[in-house]
Amino acid sequence: MRNAAVGKFWAIFFTAVAVLAVAVCVVAPDYGWWFPGDGRAHSTLGQKIDDLFYLILVIVAVTFIGVNAALGYILWHGASLPSDKKALFSHGSHALEVIWTIVPAGILLFIALYQMDVWAQYRIKNFYPKTMEPVAEVTARQFEWRIRYPARGKKLMPTPQPDDVYTVNDLRVPTGHPVSISLRSDDVQHSFFVPELRVKQDAVPGLVIPVWWEMTDIGSFELVCAELCGWGHYKMKARVVAMSDEDFEAWKSQAAQEQFYDGVSTKDGELVSQSEQE
Amino acid sequence: MIRMIMSRFLIKSAWIAVACLAAVSTGCVPNPSAEFAWRDSTTDLIKDARSSLQNTVNENFGTPDDLVAWERLPVNYGGIKGTVAAAPEGTELTPGEFAFSHEGEGEVKPGDTVLWLSGEMAGKEATIQSADAATHLISLKAGTAPAEGTTFAVNFGDQLQLGRMVYMKNCLHCHGVAGDGAGPTAQYLNPRPRDYRLGVFKFTETLATERVTRDDLWRVIKYGIPGTYMPSFLLLDDHETTAVVEYVRWLAMRGELEKRLGDELTDYSQTSLTDQYNKAVESKKAAEAAGDKPEAVPSMSSLRNTAKDDFKEYAESDYADTVDSTADFIAENWTRADDPASVIHPAVARVADTPESRARGRLLYLSDRTKCYTCHGNTGRGNGGATEDFWPKPGSTEKYDARGLHDVWGNPLQPRNLRLGQYRGGRRPVDVFRRIYAGIKGTPMPAFGGTVLKDEEVWDVVNYVMSLPFESDASPSPAPSTKMAAHPVQ
Repeated sequence: MRNAAVGKFWAIFFTAVAVLAVAVCVVAPDYGWWFPGDGRAHSTLGQKIDDLFYLILVIVAVTFIGVNAALGYILWHGASLPSDKKALFSHGSHALEVIWTIVPAGILLFIALYQMDVWAQYRIKNFYPKTMEPVAEVTARQFEWRIRYPARGKKLMPTPQPDDVYTVNDLRVPTGHPVSISLRSDDVQHSFFVPELRVKQDAVPGLVIPVWWEMTDIGSFELVCAELCGWGHYKMKARVVAMSDEDFEAWKSQAAQEQFYDGVSTKDGELVSQSEQE
Repeated sequence: MIRMIMSRFLIKSAWIAVACLAAVSTGCVPNPSAEFAWRDSTTDLIKDARSSLQNTVNENFGTPDDLVAWERLPVNYGGIKGTVAAAPEGTELTPGEFAFSHEGEGEVKPGDTVLWLSGEMAGKEATIQSADAATHLISLKAGTAPAEGTTFAVNFGDQLQLGRMVYMKNCLHCHGVAGDGAGPTAQYLNPRPRDYRLGVFKFTETLATERVTRDDLWRVIKYGIPGTYMPSFLLLDDHETTAVVEYVRWLAMRGELEKRLGDELTDYSQTSLTDQYNKAVESKKAAEAAGDKPEAVPSMSSLRNTAKDDFKEYAESDYADTVDSTADFIAENWTRADDPASVIHPAVARVADTPESRARGRLLYLSDRTKCYTCHGNTGRGNGGATEDFWPKPGSTEKYDARGLHDVWGNPLQPRNLRLGQYRGGRRPVDVFRRIYAGIKGTPMPAFGGTVLKDEEVWDVVNYVMSLPFESDASPSPAPSTKMAAHPVQ
């Protein structure tokens, strides 16, 4: 009799662990234990990546719940049997083996084929959007992000131009259509990671790597280095600021004006000090 | 049998667990308390002089864990400054209650600390029981309110403390606790992190004789210094940046006080004693060689005793005045830096960036009026003849061991390669103008503005220099160009 109680306890215990895991998973988004920011991806491709993630999550969840329900049932059932009844012992079932090999293989094959589209759009040039605006060259260096934009109305050139606009740790991009950056590194390997866009790409010394995305929302998002690049890695943080097209153009004009400030810009013919101007 | 093995195994695992815990917990000892390191010149002083100097600096600046805000320095320590006002008519005030007016922004909250700045209770503190922003009444937890007109500060020193926190988090590991540019990571960096303690900062908007402005420090922290390890801290909150700017200025003033007082006390240093001793020995040798009667060489301990007595006399008569005048000197200089009159504004707007202007700039660059080429090279690659010479150390005839230029911190210095398009002090034309006009402080880059070059000519040089990164046909060959530089007029 005592053995039956212990067996039932373990049946409940293991079922409870599984239930707890599922419950934590369900409430996680409300407690901010989920994706960074508001939990949504803020780029079009990021949303597709999230869709893939959720698809896999559903498959895994169904499997997990099924397996644990079966486990709980078997433990409970075994504990409820009269103690004089002999346990059923079986060894090998060809049919069962075939089933649980073919079903997971089929699922894996399905995932492998299903995600190819997103992967291709993310990484393979031929599948990039037909029109996209190269907005800036982003150069990672220990321990900051230096950014070079073409002048307003001009195209981004592979080498610096006299009228380029520069910022540091502040990447501004227009929203609503695909944009791309040329990613470079000045020194060691870094990684350009914007969690809320689901964009991550290593910056490799000697390579210029195009990275594209399309912002879906206006806002400011954190850009961090995701490749341990030295002792100051932790402070290699910047922001990606998504702006409307008009704001982006206006910002660029203003940034250019500040950058070409000669200390004399006159206001009513009088010298204007720097602090007043800014 | 199995049970025995199991229990042994368990005992063994328990021991391993205990050992692991011990290892982990010994790794958790609290950090040693931070200390401001002293200059070598300070530790070299004889005991009495050293302790006088260290006491002066400690009294007025405190330690990293216990900061002292020295009111005579132009540092914005933070907090709200106010004055005790007349009681509003028809209001009966309890002894611990008073009306006040305050300057600037900020809110007085219950639990805040009031520091009386004037009147009988000057220097004493009280805790606020309640504060009413609408009626401008404060009541104290204990004690009585001082007379009308008494000035006070609430949460005095807040900004300096925030500055310290930001500094300890972000700056310390390169710039060091005392701002001596000797943090733990400093040794891996080239160029070396700035040592603030001379009060000298390279990239300023001020005249050649003036110190750095708050704006300059703000810009360096926000945008970093390209080409060095100083990264951008753009994402710090503005109030954090403001606070750390004040803290850096404060550290610079602390370092300057220590340095300047130390310079006043060099007569009382070990080095000076050793010098005296060696001189006496040498003159004795010389006298013996000449056949004269040699003077006896004083022993080190008698020299030290004399120095000790001399210092005692000096400490009683002049030391306090020296501290006073040094502090005044530092305060005046730092105050003047933030005076708008110290900031360079070109007299004329940027001369149009035309090929003619660049050509004029190029001739100036290669002329013997500016001698730019001697350091920056004929083609602007930073490889001028000066980089091949041995230069004397400042204030002495002794030369540096390494070829090339050095800065006042004693670090080797490469003249800037002007073709990289990398502008450490900022890429705005006005930044480059100021670099040429006032030079780069602490480096051999001299000031040209006002004396050597007219403002229009500085702009021509700016236009030429800023066109260099985009010039493709520069001859890199140094041999013929050296000849050309020797006769720029031909």
